[in-house]
Amino acid sequence: MLKYTIRRLIGMIPMLLLISFVVFLLAKAMPGDSLSGEIDPLNTNPQYIEEMREKLGYNDPLPVQYFNWVSGFLQGDFGKSTRYKVPVSTLLAERLPNTIFLGVTSLVITYILAFAMGIFAGRRPYTIGDNIIGGLNYLGLAIPSFIAGVFAIYFFSFNLGWIPYAGSVEVGLERGTFEYYVSRVHHVLMPAIVLGLLGTASYTQFLRNDIIENSRKDFVRTARAKGTPTSKIYNVHIMRNSIIPLITFLGFDIATLISGAIITETIFTYPGIGQLFLESVGNRDYPTLMVITMMLSTLTLVGNLVADILYGVVDPRIRLD
Amino acid sequence: MVNVTADTGKSQEKTINMSPWAIARRKFLRNKLAMISSFFLLTVIIISFLAPYITTADISKVNISQMSLEPSGEHWLGTDKSGRDIFTRILYGGRVSLLVGMSCTALVILFGTIVGAIAGFYGGFVDSALMRFTDFVLNFPFLVFVIVIGAIFQGQIDGLTILIAVISLLSWGGVARIVRSKILAEKENEYILAAVSIGCKPSKVIIKHLLPNVLSTIIVQATILFAGLIVAESGLSYLGYGVPQTIPSWGNMLSASQESDVLANKPWIWMPPAIILTVTILSINFIGEGLKDAFNPKSNR
Repeated sequence: MLKYTIRRLIGMIPMLLLISFVVFLLAKAMPGDSLSGEIDPLNTNPQYIEEMREKLGYNDPLPVQYFNWVSGFLQGDFGKSTRYKVPVSTLLAERLPNTIFLGVTSLVITYILAFAMGIFAGRRPYTIGDNIIGGLNYLGLAIPSFIAGVFAIYFFSFNLGWIPYAGSVEVGLERGTFEYYVSRVHHVLMPAIVLGLLGTASYTQFLRNDIIENSRKDFVRTARAKGTPTSKIYNVHIMRNSIIPLITFLGFDIATLISGAIITETIFTYPGIGQLFLESVGNRDYPTLMVITMMLSTLTLVGNLVADILYGVVDPRIRLD
Repeated sequence: MVNVTADTGKSQEKTINMSPWAIARRKFLRNKLAMISSFFLLTVIIISFLAPYITTADISKVNISQMSLEPSGEHWLGTDKSGRDIFTRILYGGRVSLLVGMSCTALVILFGTIVGAIAGFYGGFVDSALMRFTDFVLNFPFLVFVIVIGAIFQGQIDGLTILIAVISLLSWGGVARIVRSKILAEKENEYILAAVSIGCKPSKVIIKHLLPNVLSTIIVQATILFAGLIVAESGLSYLGYGVPQTIPSWGNMLSASQESDVLANKPWIWMPPAIILTVTILSINFIGEGLKDAFNPKSNR
């Protein structure tokens, strides 16, 4: 297992290099550079812009620029945001905790809801409760996250006033106080539910079907024959078998959360990585754009790796080599 | 057309002499939810594509005297902030959204099937090279790269074409993988060996013998993709990186809700596209479920 993991990690390196190459070329292919948008051509001396271009290395040959970028990247120098005039690492340090908080909350909510509904429906297949949950699931799978987000803001923020519709924390609260944390949780709740909607629906459906399938197997019949209480059969015997396939979904969740975060953060104007990414595309802020794209691609790679490894961990029959 | 009988005892006997396609067709026709969904989807498609004949209102003309009107007899669903009729825009928007969804699905299925079939049939070096390439494409975060690539070509080439191309280019990986695994299993059968041994060309073996046997998987996959790609298009348009703002699409109409005034006080502007989009996706999902069920020999309904 360890050998496999190490080999897969080494195998990621050429992939990352390829992706970095693509990201670099794409960023260079985008029209204009950060200077053409920021400086008014009527008021600024064209010579000065040319000098700035020279100084920032925009006139170097492409391979040289690529090499400079990669070597800086590996040493932890992510470059400077041309929009905010601060190092990209500072920007990331500011936004990243918000996105991680959103992602983790979303996962926790997804798991709690999916387990509660999946177990409930799985124990009572084809009853009213199961059908209601099934119907909700179909809806959850069909509603795109941005539509769910817009409806959530309309009903819960504007009509009922239960939740705030923008930001990650109430303005004016001091960092570290109890109210500060309460406000953060309050702000993250709705985006997290919307972000986890698709996952919740598919988890619930999967768990329900798996529980029903397992409850017809021989080991359940044996347990019943021995006189094991029904609740114990479901909560111990069947649960242990049904959780296994669910664990492998965790890796894919990482990739889903990344794409989801871009849309969800935009709807709820939640200051995270996804919003920063869209801003940097709009502002032609290439250093930031390249770093975030690299980061999200790496995370997707790691997510796929985690999924593959977890497959082997939970099911020893799958040989990883 | 197969004679559909309600009597289950009789139908049991009939299945014996029916081809797999006829069995699937009968199962699908009996699935009420799937039939209702098909009917709904067909209606939406027909009405959307006949939009220019159904309504005469101009979709692009800005009419300041009729800004943000509530739904009334003259404007069934009201007007938007530029005074354009929402109902008309829904029809035209549906045309664009469905067109993007359909063309992307067609391209993705075509490309994914070609790559998957070639990799699965030849195996060996061709297989590993093609699959490494597929893994490479699958490792790109979809939304991130669609937005970046879209931004590069913005304004240079026709917006719709580039959107369809970019979405298709980044989504064929999953289909390629599924088709490959199906072909791998299917080519072990003896009829393939027979076809090869009588001298069929590889292209003929793939097209005439292998593909018809994996077609059911491809059809189910296409339905799932169709729904997913419509969502992708409208999500991108909502963010402002999809269909150009000048062309109405369901996603573009929804992006009006980013203004909090519209979102809070003028629900008739953004709710119709939201609802029609959700119901369309829902019906496509039901059709997909129905098809999956119909092609599954183990399910007996």
